[in-house]
Amino acid sequence: MRRSYVGAGTSAVAAVLSCVAIVARAPVAITAILGILLFASVGYVWAKVLFERRPAGLERVAVATGLALSVPVIGGLGLQAAGVPLHRAAWVYLLAGVTLVGDAVLITRRPALHAKAIEKRPRFRFRLGWQAVTYGAAIVVAGGAVALASAGAMTQHYPGFTQFWLYTHGNAGVANLGVDNQQGETKQYRLILLRKGQPSGSWDITLSNGQVWRRNFAVSETEVTAANLYMLPDLTHPYRHVSI
Amino acid sequence: MSETVIDERSSHQRVDSHPSDEAPRRTGKHAATNRSHVPLSLIALSAALGVLAVAAVYTAGRHGYASSAWADGVYWLGQALIVVPVAIRLLRRHVLTTREVVLLITVLSVAEYFVTVCYSPTSFTFADELAHWRTSVNILQTGKLFTANYQLPISPHYPGLEEATSALVSVTGLPIFESGLIIAGVAHILFVYVLYIFFRRITCSYRVASVAILCYASSPHFVSFDSMFIYQTLALPFLGLTLLAVWHLSSVRETGAHASWLFLALLMSAATVVTHHVTSYVLVAALVIISLSALFIGKRPMAARTGLVALLSAAAAVAWMRFTAAGTLTYLRPFADETVQGLRALVAGGQTRAPPTSAGPLGDQALSAATVLTISVLLPIGWWRIWRSHRNQPWPVAMAIVAASWYVIVAARLAVADGSELAGRAATFVYVPVAYTVALAVGYLAGLAPRNLADSSWRWQKRAVAVAALTVMPVLIFDGLANGWPPYWERLPGPYLVAGSERSVGPEEIATARWVLAALGPGNRFAADAGNSPVLGTYGDQNPVLADGFLYTSAAYTPSDIAQVQALAIHYVLVDLRLATSLPASGQYFPVDPNADRYAHPLPLRDLTKFNQAPGVQRIYDDGNIVVYNLAGEGGVDAP
Repeated sequence: MRRSYVGAGTSAVAAVLSCVAIVARAPVAITAILGILLFASVGYVWAKVLFERRPAGLERVAVATGLALSVPVIGGLGLQAAGVPLHRAAWVYLLAGVTLVGDAVLITRRPALHAKAIEKRPRFRFRLGWQAVTYGAAIVVAGGAVALASAGAMTQHYPGFTQFWLYTHGNAGVANLGVDNQQGETKQYRLILLRKGQPSGSWDITLSNGQVWRRNFAVSETEVTAANLYMLPDLTHPYRHVSI
Repeated sequence: MSETVIDERSSHQRVDSHPSDEAPRRTGKHAATNRSHVPLSLIALSAALGVLAVAAVYTAGRHGYASSAWADGVYWLGQALIVVPVAIRLLRRHVLTTREVVLLITVLSVAEYFVTVCYSPTSFTFADELAHWRTSVNILQTGKLFTANYQLPISPHYPGLEEATSALVSVTGLPIFESGLIIAGVAHILFVYVLYIFFRRITCSYRVASVAILCYASSPHFVSFDSMFIYQTLALPFLGLTLLAVWHLSSVRETGAHASWLFLALLMSAATVVTHHVTSYVLVAALVIISLSALFIGKRPMAARTGLVALLSAAAAVAWMRFTAAGTLTYLRPFADETVQGLRALVAGGQTRAPPTSAGPLGDQALSAATVLTISVLLPIGWWRIWRSHRNQPWPVAMAIVAASWYVIVAARLAVADGSELAGRAATFVYVPVAYTVALAVGYLAGLAPRNLADSSWRWQKRAVAVAALTVMPVLIFDGLANGWPPYWERLPGPYLVAGSERSVGPEEIATARWVLAALGPGNRFAADAGNSPVLGTYGDQNPVLADGFLYTSAAYTPSDIAQVQALAIHYVLVDLRLATSLPASGQYFPVDPNADRYAHPLPLRDLTKFNQAPGVQRIYDDGNIVVYNLAGEGGVDAP
């Protein structure tokens, strides 16, 4: 009995704290924990509302998890139907609200259960021994495996490339010319703009990795405008070419 | 391998009994000697080391060893460290408690999920995952459901997965990728638990249930499509919980609990309906078959309750399709038509259009053939056990009926073009009754030896049958891993491959797609190859054309091409010059490719560069490998 009150209270606190954390714009480290706790709370509370004693154990966990996942699925449709935009606050208030309603049902229903015999189950006891250490090692190794795979993916070598573009969009009389260096190192370029096949502008550009160069200029719809990009020191062969 | 104890209880056991969570009571010296001396924590550690081995070899693949034989060997060693200890422990004769069984299936499921995560640990790369990522981004950006998704237009109309992900992103502040992994992982493990509980309920045996879970884990999509960030992954536990609630609804004696189970059944059914189309239809079909089985057997209350949930689920599915997801039939019809045509051709004995069922290595093909043969042989034995012991129980009878669809998916694999994929997708559902029926067969065969050891004349033959039955399970699982996803040519992540699914998604392709979105805006009709198309449709939010091979396979851009471009309203074409450097890893250069698996040479470079000379076509983007042309330029095709 007392444990039920504690459970209802804990879930209510998690719901309220989640709302506070969102309003106060708490850091992700805090909201991540509170958010997952909020998901767990809504499942726990409604499993308790629906089923007082059975199912138990794994089946109860499964039912609670299913309920937790179904709340945003069905609730999101309700919010959409009510014209509420599905932004951050809407999701938080939905989950917190459903949790608090469940808590209210649990708390108001409690007195009726005094007469019923609450089935006592043996509590799972966790003994800290070498088995626990082995399980802990397994968790660390598995976590390390994911970290290793992440590090491998982030350090994977890809060939560098340079994006070069020339396009008119929206405003037909204005073209956008640009270069984006993704070579992994600083590069020097020469960009030559061609109108009717003749050079009409030239820029020497030095871009560090990830740096972008862009210009807008007027173009005529009746003449071909092109641009060649050279990667220095090679000024013989265009490295990239675009035309409109 | 020692003999199994699988307590296939008699059919007289009440189906509404609650199997104990404790181990079968064994006392004295026998109990002490019949427990395994290998602690479960060591099995968990072995699985973790297996994950580490696979992660290490994935890293090696990314750094230049993707095609190494030793890397492939280490991958299989890692998988063996995960699968074999769990399988042996579940199949051996030693006493196990329910808690230990749950722990073992948790270890197996979580370890395999970690392997899936390690394959793509920093972002989604599989096309379907990217499509659902796009829908999630759209919901978070617009605050609305049902916004356009050009890559998978049906996805926004079944938004359950994206709603749950958006909610988690919102309440935790975590990025979409991490939130998606959490939702998919929780849904996958939940489905395994629900499946185990479900098997335990209808078999009244946690050992048979655990063998059934092992068998289900051999489904080719268990570690891929059933655990990826795709809508089916979340719909599956909803389906399982609906069936579980219906089981309780049909069998529980406490009248007060009926309303709760009915509420849960309807809630989970509704969640299934709005999460995934095919899963919701499978749910309705399963409920109808169970209801009819109950009616046929004479259990009318059960038939009525199950029928009621079936009726309401069907009404919900039809209403959803009618009012919210009107494009569902259009989306599914090509798959259905192709399947029916292929099967008709097979029945008629005519020529089918199916390509070779597997172009994989000989070992993978042999494993696949062995699995088909094994399950095909074990199913009749399982049916016989159901007839002998469970024919008065609607749930086992329904499972036996649906298990027959195994032979249909085998036929589809042989007869239908793209049948391997269809069979694989269907396997997610078909393997549920198949796993149950095969588990009964394995349990029976493996149980022959200990029950008949006194009969010395048949002792070694029966023991051989038992060992063979037990050896089958790991073989089935390795077949699922070898012939599931990812395919053999991208089993290890590595450098770019032409039309290579995940291996075609890299920084260059993503940067191009992002440039396209920023420069050209969303929703343009775009032609692209099979590798770039999903990236363009998701990161780029463009509207990819699927049957666009004609633009890449001729030496000139002809008036006929222009007419076809106008008919398909194609505005831009993305040309990846690497298509001229190698054959497509997946067998097809284009999203819909009539010449799939028939290419003998890479595409000629002149076919790809012809747009440079085409009048009125603008070359608006060039990054060396990828060039984007605007076909709607002056003198070109009019913009749609």
